[in-house]
Amino acid sequence: MMKCILSVFLLALSTLTYGQEAIDIIRKADDKFKGKSNTSEMKMTIVRPDWKREITMKGWALGNDYSIILVTAPARDKGQAFLKRENEMWNWQPTIDRVIKLPPSMMLQSWMGSDFTNDDLVKESSIVNDYSHQLEADSTINGMEVFKIVLTPKPEAAVVWGKIVTFIDKEEYNQHLVYYYDEDDYLVNTMVMSDLKIMGGKLLPGKLEMIPADEPNNRTVIEYLDMEFDVDVTDKFFSLQNTKRVR
Amino acid sequence: MYTKLAWRNIWRNKRRSFITIGSITFAVLLACVMRSMQLGSYDRMIENTARFYTGYIQIHKAGYWQEKIIDNSFNWDSALLSQVESTKGVHTAVPRVESFALASFENKTKGGMVLGISPEREHELTLLKDKMVEGEYLLEDDEGAIVSQGLAKYLKLGLGDTLVLIGQGYHGANAAGLFVVKGIAKFPIPEQNNQSIFISLKKAQWFYALPDQITSLSIVVDKAKHVDRILVDLNSKLDTQYLEIMGWKELMPDLVQAIEIDNISGRIMLWILYAVIGFGMFGTFMMMTAERMYEFGVMMSIGMKRLKMQVTVFLEMLMMTSIGVLAGISISLPLLIYYYFNPIFMSGESADAIEQFGIEAAYFFSMDPSLFYNQAWAIFFMAFVLGFYPLYVIQHLKPVQAMREA
Repeated sequence: MMKCILSVFLLALSTLTYGQEAIDIIRKADDKFKGKSNTSEMKMTIVRPDWKREITMKGWALGNDYSIILVTAPARDKGQAFLKRENEMWNWQPTIDRVIKLPPSMMLQSWMGSDFTNDDLVKESSIVNDYSHQLEADSTINGMEVFKIVLTPKPEAAVVWGKIVTFIDKEEYNQHLVYYYDEDDYLVNTMVMSDLKIMGGKLLPGKLEMIPADEPNNRTVIEYLDMEFDVDVTDKFFSLQNTKRVR
Repeated sequence: MYTKLAWRNIWRNKRRSFITIGSITFAVLLACVMRSMQLGSYDRMIENTARFYTGYIQIHKAGYWQEKIIDNSFNWDSALLSQVESTKGVHTAVPRVESFALASFENKTKGGMVLGISPEREHELTLLKDKMVEGEYLLEDDEGAIVSQGLAKYLKLGLGDTLVLIGQGYHGANAAGLFVVKGIAKFPIPEQNNQSIFISLKKAQWFYALPDQITSLSIVVDKAKHVDRILVDLNSKLDTQYLEIMGWKELMPDLVQAIEIDNISGRIMLWILYAVIGFGMFGTFMMMTAERMYEFGVMMSIGMKRLKMQVTVFLEMLMMTSIGVLAGISISLPLLIYYYFNPIFMSGESADAIEQFGIEAAYFFSMDPSLFYNQAWAIFFMAFVLGFYPLYVIQHLKPVQAMREA
């Protein structure tokens, strides 16, 4: 009897410590990828069975709350920018000289026709704060030892997914594979990170591939051309005025 | 011998014969006019939508009709154009890029249907030039836009103002653009008048980020009745895996069904009309038989064979019916020809009330030849059946009784 109670207690303790460890791993991975602030240059390729499009852009981000993304090519979309401040998002369209505020209802819609949603882009929800984390049995991906962590949204969190399963390697704390599930536990998207390279002094995946589960022939690839971390930007940088001006 | 006898019999009592012939004449006239009006209005309805909007034949990418989105557009090049236009019976091919976008001016915004058109070709189909009420028509590769009158009114937009269009382009591309209003056009159908925006094909392809693609290709045909043959030709010529080719019956199933329902009610009316006419004719036949009872009795008493008499009477019937039918057609023909070329347009409040339903307030007439011979046959057949009554009477005629009673 005593043994039984002890083992239950130990089990509870172990999940507790494991739980603690899981959030640390996630936080470490998140911090590594984002830094306190960062700038980046990316190329996004939207792939459809009979068609594809490339968009290059620049990004500025400060913590989780502020970011600007500026489209630099193709020519017809050049200068278009997205601003995110806390929970709000705006779209600056230079061709028609207007700022459009994206309502929360549009957060789940495709961003510029890609397999990413507006929500993915602005990361309105944080994988650190909006989810509770559960460490599962370790596994390996491409010969790498990885943690498998299941993220379930906290009850009060305004998030899109019902469950996220992510694999983070034990050495560099990079995410390698992420599964996104809806609230009925169906797989919606798979994100594959690859092409590790050194950017801004860190070893990071240079390529993100988003593959929707219901259309396996579609994909959106984001390649990071360059990243800088802990750059000198303040929240004043992330204003509508500046969104129209940034280059 | 019989014909001569029958002919003379007819003109022996002119008044009686004229009444009989007259009833048939009016029957044919009434049926023809009613039917002509009905068929004429169907033709007009089909023409209004098929001829002036969708075209009798449309080509899209396979699957577009199920899901009318800009992603389902197809490659448009001169090879396809020449393939289509070289088909016998095809007058012009009219390319279009069709999709929705938000139209905005100052503080007002409304959903609009953006049509990217090739201005000259579009005019061949929809006579768009004639619908302009203000400003100028689009040129090929024009930068401006033509806005429908209802939409311009809603947005408080005038010539020279800059219209903002925001929408979603090919595969989710960002579609946003500024267009200077070059002209304003007015359409009879309210749905069209309240949301259409016309821009040049080039500009629409730029706006929706479509690389040399269009959403539909409408075909103007030389003669509407050749549509089925042209459909077959096109189906054998073009890649039907990639493209779908649809006739107006497929393009407008609701209109086809509405016409079918109306046509059935029209047929029922026609049958009621036939029944009324039939009893009228039966009345005159009966009167004629009764009047001639004494004559039949005398003829038979002096040795005329029943069969010979029957043949003579039957010939009379046929002759009178023929005269009646021919007279009916020859009266209705000039009448219908006149109204065919000069349709009756309604005006005032009743016209407004009808136009509220999206229908043109006018009566149109058809000159389809089947119209005439169908009526002729129906009346002729009726006369033929009714003609057996006098024959039956003659068959059972008792000469003495007949003469006494008469």
